[in-house]
Amino acid sequence: MQKLIKTLALSLLIISLFSLPLLAQDRKTVTIAVGGNSVDSAKDLANMYMEKNPDINVEIVETPSSSTERLDLYLQFFEAKSSKVDVYTIDVVWPGILADHLIDFNDYGAKKIVDKHFEAIIENNTLDGRLIALPWYTDGALLFYRTDLLNEYGYDGPPETWDQLEEMAATIQAGERSKGNQDFWGYLWQGNAYEGLTCDALEWVASHGGGQIVNSNKEITIYNDQAIKAIDRAASWVGKISPPAVTGLQEESSRHIWQNGNAAFIRNWPYIYSLGNSEDSVIKGKFDVAPLPGDEPGMSASTLGGWQLAVSKYSQNKEAAVDVAMFMASEEAQKYRAIEESYNPTIKSLYQDEEVLESSPFFEDLYGVFMNAVPRPSTVTAPNYNEVSTSFFQSVHSVLTGEQGAREALGNLQYEIQDITGFEIK
Amino acid sequence: MIKNLNKIIQNTLFIVVLLTIVVYLVFPFYWAVNSSFKTEAQLQMSPTTIVPRNIESNSFDLTFKNYINIFKNDQFVRGMLNSTIVSISTTILSLLSGSFAAFALGKLRFKGKKITLYTILAMTMFPQITVLSGLYAVINTLNIDAIPSMILSYMIFTLPFTTWVMTSFFRELPKELMQSAQVDGATPFQTFYMILLPLTAPALVTTGLLAFIQAWNEYLFALTFTSIDPAARTIPVAIALFSGEVTRQIPYGEIMAAAVVVTIPIVLLVFIFQKKIVAGLTAGAVKG
Amino acid sequence: MSQISNNLFKKEQSLAYKMLIPTILILVIIAIYPLGQVVYTSFTNRVFAGVEETEFVGLDNYTSLFSLTIKELPKDKYAFEVLPREPKRYKELTTFSIFNKQYIIGSVHPNFIEAIINTIIFTFFAVFLETLFGFIIALVVNSKFIGRGVMRAIMLLPWAVITVVSARIWEWILFPSRIGFLNMFLSKLGIGNGQISFLTDSGLQLPSLIMVDVWKTTPFMALLILAGLQLVPNELYEAARVDGAGRVKQFFSITLPLLKPSLAVALIFRTLASLRVFGLFQVLVGQQRYSMSSYNYYQLIGNRAMGLASAISVVIFIIIFIFAVMYMKTLGVEDE
Repeated sequence: MQKLIKTLALSLLIISLFSLPLLAQDRKTVTIAVGGNSVDSAKDLANMYMEKNPDINVEIVETPSSSTERLDLYLQFFEAKSSKVDVYTIDVVWPGILADHLIDFNDYGAKKIVDKHFEAIIENNTLDGRLIALPWYTDGALLFYRTDLLNEYGYDGPPETWDQLEEMAATIQAGERSKGNQDFWGYLWQGNAYEGLTCDALEWVASHGGGQIVNSNKEITIYNDQAIKAIDRAASWVGKISPPAVTGLQEESSRHIWQNGNAAFIRNWPYIYSLGNSEDSVIKGKFDVAPLPGDEPGMSASTLGGWQLAVSKYSQNKEAAVDVAMFMASEEAQKYRAIEESYNPTIKSLYQDEEVLESSPFFEDLYGVFMNAVPRPSTVTAPNYNEVSTSFFQSVHSVLTGEQGAREALGNLQYEIQDITGFEIK
Repeated sequence: MIKNLNKIIQNTLFIVVLLTIVVYLVFPFYWAVNSSFKTEAQLQMSPTTIVPRNIESNSFDLTFKNYINIFKNDQFVRGMLNSTIVSISTTILSLLSGSFAAFALGKLRFKGKKITLYTILAMTMFPQITVLSGLYAVINTLNIDAIPSMILSYMIFTLPFTTWVMTSFFRELPKELMQSAQVDGATPFQTFYMILLPLTAPALVTTGLLAFIQAWNEYLFALTFTSIDPAARTIPVAIALFSGEVTRQIPYGEIMAAAVVVTIPIVLLVFIFQKKIVAGLTAGAVKG
Repeated sequence: MSQISNNLFKKEQSLAYKMLIPTILILVIIAIYPLGQVVYTSFTNRVFAGVEETEFVGLDNYTSLFSLTIKELPKDKYAFEVLPREPKRYKELTTFSIFNKQYIIGSVHPNFIEAIINTIIFTFFAVFLETLFGFIIALVVNSKFIGRGVMRAIMLLPWAVITVVSARIWEWILFPSRIGFLNMFLSKLGIGNGQISFLTDSGLQLPSLIMVDVWKTTPFMALLILAGLQLVPNELYEAARVDGAGRVKQFFSITLPLLKPSLAVALIFRTLASLRVFGLFQVLVGQQRYSMSSYNYYQLIGNRAMGLASAISVVIFIIIFIFAVMYMKTLGVEDE
């Protein structure tokens, strides 16, 4: 008798154990990998989605804020062909690296929504006709300048050309130093040997009409006089209007110097706007933004940044995952994020939306910058972009630190890129 | 007289060197403490201040905001628990298994000793990042939860470490100890756990502490194995997930506060165990 | 050989094997496959998280890592115009001149050769200083004085700070303006202009990294040496004192010889960890200067060149192995 009860209990236990996952499967779960401070708004969006689709459970998986570490983690998942994450948030330069593991949104009727987004991003996210990621939010570099100092030294507006910037930066720097602030610098940017330097240097080259390293016809264009002029110009700033340490600065470290009031100009992403205006900031209300300067007026260039949404090939709920991703990239979701957390939408019409503009008035000025943002050659050099970019920023870095001139560095670089990609040199 | 003077100079020199080293070891941690009480604006002050000071009035002014924020973060609080579970389990398992192996390697005669020693060491000689993808595949095949997977995979570095350190200590114990025990009729295994193991207590505690901290600090494996299991995240992972108010901002103040909160329990732990570290061998036992 | 002692040996041997089982078993389960995979992959062109077919390429990865060439560099030419491009392109590693002629050394992976040099210099100085400081601290903490307990807890402080975080602490201390402590402090002493870039200036990078590593791992050394000191019986010192030996003489004639085995183990594990140094380089100097492991990370995660990265790992493994054997031999710890 006892034996019978035991057997019965045991089999009951086994049955219930097996049925647990079955019960849970009634509600499909879609998992999204998100990182950094996108997590909170992603959770809000997930709740909004679940309210409308009660049969789907959306879970947010938090990943590291550092994008290198996030890529590392994603690659581990893809190497293991893991179905544990359905939707990935990916950097604007990753579509080319991860394309093999991601689905084509065109197979799921994305055609009707692509026109709403910035063309440059859609193009960036399209590989061999496959739309492998939906734009989530965008980013573009800007020139931040101290309105109070420009006034004080008699300038009535931000510089439009690099020559003007050099002159203003030198004047203000000399003036502030003679007042006793030895830590003051004219112009800050990101000169460390890392992906950020690729962004900065691409802007210098493009704003001198020196192309985009590799053009859309898969030809290597970096070795040209304008590009050489641009890089040599940047190298001339080091130690003059920019600190010698600029070759070790990244976004955050340059922001610290700027936000302490020790610089007249800085090139950075829009995120420093709200931080510079925070309650205890020294420069609160004393700065404004403008497009970056160009070699000639109107030649401004800003590198395209931002994050995308992609669905894994190994997902077991592709339909549901695509639906969630579409929702997160939708007008409704982007508007929510723009208003709540000032993320820059990728949908053009939102830059005229009254509610959006009310919460972030400077979005109107950003439209032009984002519309014309220059993408890094990540899609055209796929899957070798990282190697191309590393060669590029290391070459530029060696010019900035004075190891070689731009002519030699870029001359060498074109061969290096040719070795990596096999493309022709133009 | 001159001899005395010499001694005084020697001693002073020694104290100066010692103080320098102590300041060098302690100061960076003090800097973390100092930074953890600053707001971002205070952190950015130039020149920087030795204690948190108000940006305008320059008077002493500290903030607890960073500490409040990290304790509001559930992942951080749970991370403390997870890290403790993982590190203690790893340490105990490595000490157990490692001191068994170390006794064999240090005190018993058998064929293939050298090869065994080097093979065990070889397990930790590859860079973590290259081993990771293979290890991830093993963990996936074994189909175990995040916490046991961390405990198991940390053995890759703690086990060779404990084995080697313990082996070197067993070797140092005089042969006479074993022989006299055997004359008294004890089996080798009894000799091991009744006589030798207690004698190596300082080594066990030292090795255990070092292994514990190695496990406590591990980041790369933990990040990968807990990626889809947030409830199992350890402290280093939780800290890496800290994010600023806006994208790209690194919350230095909070990272520093976390460093302080996480380090102090360990220092207390050491303080409690430190007597054991230097308990020493009783003179009688060594004479055998 | 008597029958009895032979029997005893067999008994001992079988006990030894039994006691090794748990360790061997755990290591077999977790380590054999990953390590085997690294070795195997090093002979292929495998792409990390790639979908392409993997091909066996023999020793290609290894030869490309160590391919070197020397060419004459005429005054009017750039390095890249001189160095060969086929079958693989050589990049400038370094230049030198003899008899008024400039020569250039090219390498297929110059960054890797530099990484080896960086890592070995780093390891040499870091381990040397850690051992020295570790000794001083251990000897002090081993003697009796008031506050010894607190001192022992404090000495372990840097080792207890989470690695990921300790790099951040130093990043802030080494900040290249007077926002950073060191620049503020030095400029007060009249050294530098408060703008020293410790992590960018190529002459200061390695010293800065060594300084951080010595800070972090001196406690590890100190603790292991301290534990070793416990094995030195007090009687020996007493006897030496009776013989009139001074403190220095006591140290060299008693302490050091008896410490050799524990010192060897401590040195092996420190050297091993230093040669694999990763986080420190990755966080503080990133891609400005590589260690062997951070270069490996760049190849594996950045370029997804898993075959090449695996070959690099095997090379790191071999270098570490050579060091381990060297220590064992020179410190005379191998008693069989």
